[in-house]
Amino acid sequence: MKKIFLCSNLLFLVLGTMLLSCQAAMASGSTVMDRIHAAKEPFDNMKMETAYQLPVKTVLAKESYQGGTFRVLARKDSITRFRCSVCHTEKKMLARDGAFFTHSDIEINHGRGDDKLACIECHDEKDRDFLRDAEGKNIDFDHSYRLCGQCHFRQKRDWLGGAHGKREAYWAGERVVRNCTSCHSPHSPAFETKMPVTYSLPLDQ
Amino acid sequence: MNSSRKKEGQMKTKKNEKKTTRRSFMKNLSVAAAAGSAGLVTGGCVSLEKTEEMGLKWEEYFKKNYRLMTEEEKGETVARLERLAKLKGDGDIQMSSQGPRENVLYGYAFNISRCKGYMDCVEACVKENNLDRTSKTQYIRLFEMDSGQLDPTTGDGKYHHEVPVENKFYMGVQCYHCENAPCIKACPTKATWREPDGIVVVDYDWCIGCRYCLAACPYWGRRFNWGEPEIPREEMNRKQHYLGNRMRMKGVMEKCTFCVQRTRQGKLPACAEACPTGSRVFGNLLDPDSEIRFILKHKKVFRFKEELGTDPKFWYFID
Repeated sequence: MKKIFLCSNLLFLVLGTMLLSCQAAMASGSTVMDRIHAAKEPFDNMKMETAYQLPVKTVLAKESYQGGTFRVLARKDSITRFRCSVCHTEKKMLARDGAFFTHSDIEINHGRGDDKLACIECHDEKDRDFLRDAEGKNIDFDHSYRLCGQCHFRQKRDWLGGAHGKREAYWAGERVVRNCTSCHSPHSPAFETKMPVTYSLPLDQ
Repeated sequence: MNSSRKKEGQMKTKKNEKKTTRRSFMKNLSVAAAAGSAGLVTGGCVSLEKTEEMGLKWEEYFKKNYRLMTEEEKGETVARLERLAKLKGDGDIQMSSQGPRENVLYGYAFNISRCKGYMDCVEACVKENNLDRTSKTQYIRLFEMDSGQLDPTTGDGKYHHEVPVENKFYMGVQCYHCENAPCIKACPTKATWREPDGIVVVDYDWCIGCRYCLAACPYWGRRFNWGEPEIPREEMNRKQHYLGNRMRMKGVMEKCTFCVQRTRQGKLPACAEACPTGSRVFGNLLDPDSEIRFILKHKKVFRFKEELGTDPKFWYFID
């Protein structure tokens, strides 16, 4: 009698452990990380019919993202006095117009400490409609990331992958990201200190 | 022959009788009640609108849990809610009941080395999701933290001074849309659940306001409406979703829904779009080419209180 009782106890124990391990396996099979690792097929982002073209002007980036193409926000349209060569000619001008025509409003705050950058370290000295990298190549204003990435290569790497900068409006559809100069002023790229736009009440209220 | 036909006829009437379900009975009752009240009140247009409103409210009262509704029933309740909002004077609301997409699992990443604490995200969230202005309800909370700390309880959640402060960093906290969410288990009426695309939502009409979920959430992700939520009419966001930013009532729970009304249309959540520093990354976890997957693969990431086993879909990362 005692033996039967013991046997049945054992049986329950075995059954119990089996059930428990089964449950554990099921729980571990549905974690986020498991689902992520199981997903290998790229999602067809273009089938989101509601993700439409943006109202802002974009250009095709001259870099690739995950083997594909992407777009960046255009820059030239937001430069108020583009094209630069309209003013930067051999034409003579009056001294009294100097304040308006020269870039007296621009303060350069780019570079470490007192070692600030000079204009021509980024702008092309000869052709003012272009930027110029350290190798002497012309760079279009719309593709300034190629210039910035010379020094800020870590940020560029993150930006290409999506860990720096941000997408414009949509997570789906064609990838459209902000240009370096959409967020950073090239002449003073650090973000300023300012008051937050709102505030929170204490947690216990 | 004749008798058998008779029998068939009888059977048919019996079947028809059986079809009078509780639902249709209630419907008839509401029509009768409406007609009765219309008869009693000898008024013009105003009383007719009152009658219509009463009928709609009655139908709303007896609707099912959202998850048990057919597509048709979802459409009906959305139409009723739109009409009720119009009668209440809230204007023309476009409410959606758009469902989840296949092969989509939403995830979020927050860059703690980039966030400057400007709180644009909080402001955008309040406006997008029609949050109560009276009690200053906010889904997102930003904590100003000392470097080296990773627990928001050590930070200052009610700062109001020029930001960023040197040697401090900012950490945003909101609903993490856990895969194994404790709030869902705590709900006694099954009014909250996880959608197939990973968003944890609340059916406001099935919430009884017991606040068990609020107690169960280890991340302070849920908010309770202690009073009737109030929004200036001109600030109301009229693009709404049944499970998202439609108007809540007094005594129900609400929470971040990853802006379900936006994200299911391919848009970024309001917080991610408003962020001026690009600290907020949102995307599809099941797409190996998405930005969020790049972050999970290449950056140093961690999840808050991961040891609890809640399996949140919200990662923090550093540059």
